[in-house]
Amino acid sequence: MVELVPKLLRQEMARLAEQDARIDGRSRFEGREITLETNCLYNAEGSAKVTMGKTVVYAGVKFEIRTPWPDRPSEGSLMCGAELRPVAHRKYEPGPPSPESIELGRVVDRGIRESGCIDMNSLCIIPGEKVWGVMIDIHVLSDGGNIFDACGLAAIAALRTAVVPAERFDVGEDYTLSVNGTPIMASFTRVGGRYVYDPCEEEELGGDERIHITIGDEGHVHSLQKGLRGVFTPQEFAEIFEVAQEKCAELRKLVAKKEAK
Amino acid sequence: MGGYGDIQLLRDDGLRLDGRKLDESRPVTIQAGILPAADGSAMVTQGLNVAVAAVYGPMEAHPRKIQRQDRAVIDVRYNMAPFSTSDRIRPGFNRRSREISKVTAEALESVVLVERFPRSKIRVEIEILAAEAGTRCAGITAASVALADAGIPMRDMIVGVASGKIEDTVVLDLDKAEDNYGQADLPAGILPNTGEIAFLQMDGDLSPEEFDLAMEYNFKAAREIHEIMVEALKARYDGGDN
Repeated sequence: MVELVPKLLRQEMARLAEQDARIDGRSRFEGREITLETNCLYNAEGSAKVTMGKTVVYAGVKFEIRTPWPDRPSEGSLMCGAELRPVAHRKYEPGPPSPESIELGRVVDRGIRESGCIDMNSLCIIPGEKVWGVMIDIHVLSDGGNIFDACGLAAIAALRTAVVPAERFDVGEDYTLSVNGTPIMASFTRVGGRYVYDPCEEEELGGDERIHITIGDEGHVHSLQKGLRGVFTPQEFAEIFEVAQEKCAELRKLVAKKEAK
Repeated sequence: MGGYGDIQLLRDDGLRLDGRKLDESRPVTIQAGILPAADGSAMVTQGLNVAVAAVYGPMEAHPRKIQRQDRAVIDVRYNMAPFSTSDRIRPGFNRRSREISKVTAEALESVVLVERFPRSKIRVEIEILAAEAGTRCAGITAASVALADAGIPMRDMIVGVASGKIEDTVVLDLDKAEDNYGQADLPAGILPNTGEIAFLQMDGDLSPEEFDLAMEYNFKAAREIHEIMVEALKARYDGGDN
């Protein structure tokens, strides 16, 4: 059954693609409805919940004080990790972090880190002695497809609400973490031969390779990842890159709107 | 338990620090069917605790050595999210979560009609997103609602409740400060319809009389929370959006 279902799905995806249709009725570059909640968890210094269709993801930010690296005495650190625990889908097994969850965490991490939205020097407490380590943990609770975009959105939204718990660590007063920018990810999967935006579960199961693009406020790209088996042409990339620009700008507005409230 | 300390947990007016009466629970909210990928799911908030449970199955039991010829096995994982506590928790199982998972599974196996599903496995995943004392109880409550939401037949649901002792006084539903500086904690899993107990742990110091009062409080809380559980399941099927 494991092999048969994707095979039937693939046939159906190819048939739908011929009519330029998608299995859930969306157009090719139409995203699912998104909800974003921030500051929703006690104990996390910043948190966010994102739902996209049947996907549900939480992200939480924690801080710790650590000794800086000797060659960078005034720089703090940022780490982003994702867990694909068995809660999220029947396909996930318990055990040590899978290659999939490591890839997910690292792709989100790169998008945030490389956008430069966190100035590592701003995380310094005492040069050479104490710096802040910021940790974003992403918890996928329901995998209904395209967890990458949901995780990316939850991570940056949680980070942007984070309050540095200086009082608890006895190093001054609490203050809002300074985050200069809102890097956003847009993901595409090849389904029925062509790329679609924001794939749902069935499209991932009956599709091929995927491409993740993280774009910053200025429209610059900060992380790219091609995953799974398959190849694509520069022309195909150019098309989805343009769509990604538009989608990321829309989502950035959603984050800003949430913060304005 | 933290034991006796200098910290005052009862106010001069006899109420607790957060204004609750001795036999008063923190506010509880329950939602069923919140995780679309799961066969059944629930979220329970109790005070600032947030517990989520997902149920998958019944499914084929793997590996085969865990199969039981005459019944289903229930595989429970209780896990605290890294950001659920004051200090970040490193991801992965620890001794505490393994023990809680084990006794929770055994409690649930005593109410689910496991003999209906021989050789199969029912997976119950409990994720704690925010912890403020009492997460194992919120987890059991969430797991029960998630099992019911998944349509798995049970003799009764289990309600996770806890009482304890602070300043030589028995109180219902310890919060974080009361748990840290209190003298005893008595979590229990109660079957509200039959009045039986499927889960019981305790640590600290209780006299027989204090134990009786703590259990009386637990039963009272179980009846109250059970009503919220039933309402959550009804609401799931009223909306029509399944």
